[in-house]
Amino acid sequence: MDKFIQLVVDGLSTGSVYAALALAIVLVHQATGLINFAQGGLAVLAAYVAWWLTNQGVPLVLAILLSIVFSFALGALVERYLMRRFERGDPDTAVVVTIGLLTLITGVAGWLWTYNNQQFPSLFSLETVSLLGVSVSIRSIGTTLAIVVVMVLLQALFAGTKLGLALRAVAVNPQSAAFSGLPVGRLLMVGWGLAAALGAVAGALVAPQLTLTPGMLDNALVYALAAVILGGLTSPVGVVVAAWIIGVLENLAAVYVGFIGFDLKVAVPFILIFVVLIVRPQGLFGRKVVVRV
Amino acid sequence: MTLLELEGVTASYGPVQVLDGVSLRVPDNGAVGILGANGAGKTTTLRAISGTVRAGGRIVFDGKDIRGLRPDRVAALGIAHVPEGRGTLGDLTVRENLRVGAYLRKDAKGVAQDIDYCLDLFPNLQNRIRSNASALSGGEQQMLAVARAIMSKPRLLLLDEASLGLAPSTAKNVYDAIRRLRIESGIAMVVVEQNANLAFTLVDSATVLETGRNVLTGTSAELRGMDEIRRAYLGG
Amino acid sequence: MARVVEAPASSAASSFRRRPWVRRAGPLVLLVVLVALPLMLPEGANDTLARIGVFAVAVLGLNVVMGYTGQVSLGQIFFLGLGAYVTAYGVTNDWNIVLVFVLACLVPAVVGLVVALAAARLGGLAIAMVTIALPIVGVPLAKRLSDYTGGSQGLSARFTDAPEGTGLYDDQWQLYLVFLIGGTVFLLTRNLVRGRYGRAFAIVKGNENVASSMGISPYRYKVLAFTIASLIGGVSGFLYMVVVQYTSPETMSFGHSIELLVAMVIGGAASIVGSILGGAFYVVVPDLTNAIDPSLTALLQGALLLVVLFLLPGGLASLPRALTRGRRRSRAGRGPAAPPTTPSSTTGSGTAAEEPETERQGHA
Repeated sequence: MDKFIQLVVDGLSTGSVYAALALAIVLVHQATGLINFAQGGLAVLAAYVAWWLTNQGVPLVLAILLSIVFSFALGALVERYLMRRFERGDPDTAVVVTIGLLTLITGVAGWLWTYNNQQFPSLFSLETVSLLGVSVSIRSIGTTLAIVVVMVLLQALFAGTKLGLALRAVAVNPQSAAFSGLPVGRLLMVGWGLAAALGAVAGALVAPQLTLTPGMLDNALVYALAAVILGGLTSPVGVVVAAWIIGVLENLAAVYVGFIGFDLKVAVPFILIFVVLIVRPQGLFGRKVVVRV
Repeated sequence: MTLLELEGVTASYGPVQVLDGVSLRVPDNGAVGILGANGAGKTTTLRAISGTVRAGGRIVFDGKDIRGLRPDRVAALGIAHVPEGRGTLGDLTVRENLRVGAYLRKDAKGVAQDIDYCLDLFPNLQNRIRSNASALSGGEQQMLAVARAIMSKPRLLLLDEASLGLAPSTAKNVYDAIRRLRIESGIAMVVVEQNANLAFTLVDSATVLETGRNVLTGTSAELRGMDEIRRAYLGG
Repeated sequence: MARVVEAPASSAASSFRRRPWVRRAGPLVLLVVLVALPLMLPEGANDTLARIGVFAVAVLGLNVVMGYTGQVSLGQIFFLGLGAYVTAYGVTNDWNIVLVFVLACLVPAVVGLVVALAAARLGGLAIAMVTIALPIVGVPLAKRLSDYTGGSQGLSARFTDAPEGTGLYDDQWQLYLVFLIGGTVFLLTRNLVRGRYGRAFAIVKGNENVASSMGISPYRYKVLAFTIASLIGGVSGFLYMVVVQYTSPETMSFGHSIELLVAMVIGGAASIVGSILGGAFYVVVPDLTNAIDPSLTALLQGALLLVVLFLLPGGLASLPRALTRGRRRSRAGRGPAAPPTTPSSTTGSGTAAEEPETERQGHA
């Protein structure tokens, strides 16, 4: 039982990282109707920046904050100078552009910092605490809580602020938004910037566990996409819940399902997708999962 | 005083020239109609004003050349465009649509008052205030589109085919409300309308476009009397 | 300099191609060249050509689903790997080679069908989001099923030594096999995409609503395209074993899957010639960048892909057309001739990608 609860808590923590990445994908999709396959790549780059800063003697927390700021700026610039041209065109071409971006970012990270694994210091202690009689790691709790806080902030931004309302308006109908005086281009940049910043949080939280490599988040991207499919592109809450379910289920499956084990747990979300598609084609929460016809 | 003046405005979509020298003058507090057959360039004229299509010639608003400005800049100067097809924000509620309309305003109190005014002008929206705009009927969406435009406290309203796709009685309701708005607020208007009779209930003067050119301009009274023009261009 | 020479040549070539006798003689000349080439080239060049052929087939398969039908697939390499594993397993168990070939086509096709039946239900970009999982799940799966796949060690299978009596070297025999099988696949695919199905694919790509209103089920045609792409991927896997004679989980890694997509776009989406150029790109460019600096490979590929998307969305295959259009425009003297400069600046990178291919053959 002890082990089971530990697995669940650890699953929630990795699920939270997938959730952050998945939310970033939803954010960009809401704003521009695209699926950004470079979302994980941008997050890895942010983690490298934080890592590089700590090596220069910058305290870890400050380094992570700076990397988040860096990501925001980079995301905004990518929107303005790379994606803008492809946004209202063929979505498939735009997706290929993001794949090109992923390749480029991976290449830049590998070129600057090699493809070797680098140790990334952890924000949270690796020790365990006793919670309701079960020992769980502080890192797992910390990671989960950090992502929950970020999600609440994000929700507050979209539901309660003028900027959030403007971002949503631009996502629905950019031209109408412009007719009301909304600076559409700048808002799209903000949307991409926020998504990249969110990814940077995910990168900093997961890098200590995975150790830093240019392809560190390739698998996480796959999980995040699975969460997006299961949760429905229109439902941030659904995406987060789906990411948690995936995180917990894959952890449990790795231990309790003989064939799957740790090496094949990446298959879990896709088995889940197949089951869901057969039972509930509209996704777990979304109104419909029709991505963009 | 002239609020908006267009002189020799041209525009094209790719190789197709749509506007070939359109002129228009809207006085302060005035309302001018643009009439003409389909494809005459009515909508494009509005799009040239609001900056959604690249145009040549001269477009002067309140003494300032606005040609080539981005749509959001044009809106910031006080021009609100109610596009053909309404352009309401489907995933947002009616209230959120109205708040987006007031995006550039800083006076929270005035915004709240204007929301109340809009709901008074279009009572149908009152009960739907929490509904998603996409759930509204066509008439309600048109009302919402106009209301959203009013929320920016514009000095000039560009109204594109507000009666399109509406039942005659609904269209009349919409135009009645817009006329009341005009009387109460004095907002100047450029009104594009297929249904000339409906347009004449609102505008003081009008110009008739044909293949991107003015072919006839006059007061409503003058134009209304011209039977052959009416048959040819105004579909009435 | 090369640009100046190349530009007129390409337009001359296009008017040359239009003459009827050229059209009839063209295939014949091509056939003669294909027969003669393996006999004349050194071993290394034959090997490079054969590998280009393998990946040209893989890119062609990707083109069926992505280029022609507009469904982004990130899993094509998985089907190559699957075909290669089926081939290797069959050969090591001494199955009849024809049976092995059929299985190397059918197994990937069936797996592709099952994946597509689920993924195509989601519509839009979901196919990309699901197919990205194929290589990522495929690699650990291949390691796990070590009884069949040899685990991380992989599988070797030699079955393409030149038969006694032909007097051919192994590399020549292998290249002939690639020409024969690959050529057949290219011909069949060309007929497919130019025929009724190709038109349906194009309509689905253009607008699914229009397709539905014409009685063309987008779902069905997406599934069909994906299945065919998987089948062609299986063939490329078979050819991979013909040429490379060894496969491991690394064959179908995520990175390779992305590279295949990059190759397709750079070669030219929805283009038969583009598929061949894409195969050449896939094989030659990593060799080149590795020679300069291995850590630059991904960076260069990403940068090249973005440059092509910006300047030449139709890929290298559209270069002649872009050049003629550009020249016509500058001849008409319209505007500051910005477009003509863009394609010609890509010519540089284009020739850089293709020319060294012949260079390499000389070295090897």
